[in-house]
Amino acid sequence: MTALLETRDLAKTYDTGGTPVAALIGVDLTVRRGEFVAVMGPSGCGKSTLLNLVAGLDRPSAGEVWFDGRRIDQLSETALAKLRRRRIGFVFQFFNLLPTLSAEANVELPLLLTGTHRREARRQARGLLTDLGIGDKGRSAPSRLSGGQQQRVALARALANQPDLVVGDEPTGGLDSATAGEVLGLLRDAHGRGQTLLLATHDARVAAAADRVVSLRDGRVFDDRTLDAARPVSLPFDPEPL
Amino acid sequence: MFSTLVRLAFSGIRTRLVASGLTVLLAATAAATVVLALEVGQAGREPWQQTFAAAHGAHVLANVPTEKAARALQSHRGVVEAAAPVPDMTVNLQTGDGPEPLRISGLSGRPQVNAPVRIAGTATPGNGIVLEHSLATALNVGVGDRLTFAGDVGLRVVGTAVLPNVARYPRSNPGVAWVDRSTFDTLRPHGDRESWTVALRLADPAAAPKVAGSILAHQPPGSSSTQTWQEQRSLALMDAQPLQLILAMYTVVLLAVVFAVVAILVGARALEQYRQIGLLKAVGLTPRQVDLVFVIESTVLGLVAAVLGFTAGALLAPVLARPSSETMIGSPTRAADPVHLVVAAVLVLLVLVLSTWLSTRRRTRFSVLHAIESGRAAPPRPSALARLVAVLPLGVSLAVGARTLLAGRARALLLAGAISLTGAAFVFALSMQASLDAQPAGQVSDVPTELPVLVYTLDGVLLLIAITSLLAIALLGLRERLRDFGVLKTVGLTPRQVASTLVSPYAMLAVVASVLSIPVGIALYIATYRAAGGDGDPTLAPWPWLVLVPVATVLLVIVATSVPARMAARASVADVLRTE
Repeated sequence: MTALLETRDLAKTYDTGGTPVAALIGVDLTVRRGEFVAVMGPSGCGKSTLLNLVAGLDRPSAGEVWFDGRRIDQLSETALAKLRRRRIGFVFQFFNLLPTLSAEANVELPLLLTGTHRREARRQARGLLTDLGIGDKGRSAPSRLSGGQQQRVALARALANQPDLVVGDEPTGGLDSATAGEVLGLLRDAHGRGQTLLLATHDARVAAAADRVVSLRDGRVFDDRTLDAARPVSLPFDPEPL
Repeated sequence: MFSTLVRLAFSGIRTRLVASGLTVLLAATAAATVVLALEVGQAGREPWQQTFAAAHGAHVLANVPTEKAARALQSHRGVVEAAAPVPDMTVNLQTGDGPEPLRISGLSGRPQVNAPVRIAGTATPGNGIVLEHSLATALNVGVGDRLTFAGDVGLRVVGTAVLPNVARYPRSNPGVAWVDRSTFDTLRPHGDRESWTVALRLADPAAAPKVAGSILAHQPPGSSSTQTWQEQRSLALMDAQPLQLILAMYTVVLLAVVFAVVAILVGARALEQYRQIGLLKAVGLTPRQVDLVFVIESTVLGLVAAVLGFTAGALLAPVLARPSSETMIGSPTRAADPVHLVVAAVLVLLVLVLSTWLSTRRRTRFSVLHAIESGRAAPPRPSALARLVAVLPLGVSLAVGARTLLAGRARALLLAGAISLTGAAFVFALSMQASLDAQPAGQVSDVPTELPVLVYTLDGVLLLIAITSLLAIALLGLRERLRDFGVLKTVGLTPRQVASTLVSPYAMLAVVASVLSIPVGIALYIATYRAAGGDGDPTLAPWPWLVLVPVATVLLVIVATSVPARMAARASVADVLRTE
């Protein structure tokens, strides 16, 4: 498999009230095309920061981010936006749907941005929502959907343009156990269709479903191991309970 | 409990100084126009009183057809002092623009009652002529200039003077001048409509209307006229009337804009403080008490605004009353009537309290649990307009922005109303200018020169208020939607597209509102024209001028919203979503 994503000596320092706080220190990470990578670690270890940097949502303090052979950390905001809309889908822990748009309209948005005709975008959005089991909720406002339903809409939005990379920041974190299981199943389906997944999680089941688990501690890669599908997961720390 | 609510209200004011300042600015401007409208009529009273005293003014002036009839009135019941009857006639003055009729009085020495009060030169005509001061100003004539009357009678201007019964030229038309009796006799063959005026002073000045009525009752019907001192004062102060009318019109517009903007600001605050309101309710405040906190805030701000507005209005009124003083001695004075403060305060508070109460009463009735858990109010169901926009083939930025703007139906309507009224004020000003421009060249307008200046100044103030309010509302929108902007960037909107989601819906709203402002402005102008006693069809601004209103409005809206739009475009997604 070729590398889809690569970070080289990646670092991020936040300035909190005049005091510099290192969130990420010298992270070298390679994610191959079609791989499912889970990023784990305790709260504050830099998982979200890493995801934000690789998705071009934030700028590193030092180091490089390469996506499909192209360095992206120095791209303009406009170029990054164009890259994200076609090639990177992002799923948040708390869904982050646009509250004034219906579920359908939320899913249509990335399609319309890539120039898909309005009618075709509507058709595809409905198809995606149906595939994710909420075809009947297309016209509902996000506030009228349950947490699990909102996360499905968010997932549909992230998958709409069939991006090469789907980045998820605790995508099952805000859900109950049963719903989290369902969302994980949907993510695995996407992976099964060849999409690359990079998910930050505390959920042992997500980690167990991944090809590889990268563990962070204090902003550094503490452990990076490929999982054997035939053997139970053994993590280098105790995952937080669901 | 009430003291707790007051403490909460003051804490709300302190933590939102910009919004509080904007509310005070808006309400103070409205209060200032209320006070100006009331004070401007009173500011000329003192100078008129001085002029009346200096002229030894008449309590009743009677104009009768013959000298005999005039002399008979000197001994009318109630009269304690009378001047010798003075003959008047209309004579044409030859000017470069053609004949100008003047009403000339023939004096035999200085009249005992109602004597012209000198402004420049002398008030005694001798062999020359004394012109009423505002007439001399309008004709651009001064002491020493020579005038030629019908029959080629030439007279040198020896002075200018004023009288308490003569209003400013050209509202008092024909203009007034004084000559001595021999000159009057020289002009008599070229004169017209000769009559006699007798100035009377009464034992009881308050009885002037009654005495005037009695005089007319003893004269042949239609042959005579009278003027009481009360009528003289009203006539002299009438220059303030157009100003009062315009100020009243702008007061209504400003109060409507204040209503709209305050409703938006308070409504946005109630939404933003969703969780805090939930917590207040959780500790035992009723929804009505929460409403009361907002109402107390608005009342405090309204009281501050009323005092500021009263101060500004009382200080500016003498400046606006200057046109009246052209026919008087002394300068307009400050009336600073406390009743005017009360009137302004009542009006401003009524608007603020109503606007606040209407915008908060529905936003404080929600589930406490939801407020505390979610911290954000659920967006309202999409309005019919939002649903319509959803099916229109709009670009992504405009579609997303418009649906968000229209989701707050009340806010969109209030904002459109405020923009429309501001545009209407400009349509009004343009029509007034067109009307002034349509006057034939050389014809002196009876519109006080201060009137257009006042209208343009008020338009400027309104514009400033509209832009500031729009900026504040757009900044509020930015704060409310910061997370959404982060999400939009995440799904692939470029910074320019993000900015466009904020600017384009406001621009779209401005197009609709400013097009509506044209008929609203025309209606306002026609109503004011009719109220001012204008007859015939008023001259309206030509269409090319009117088209400028929507164009300029949209441009201004784009400029005002571009500041928060740039902030939205530059916001770091990671920061925004991390804060959430």
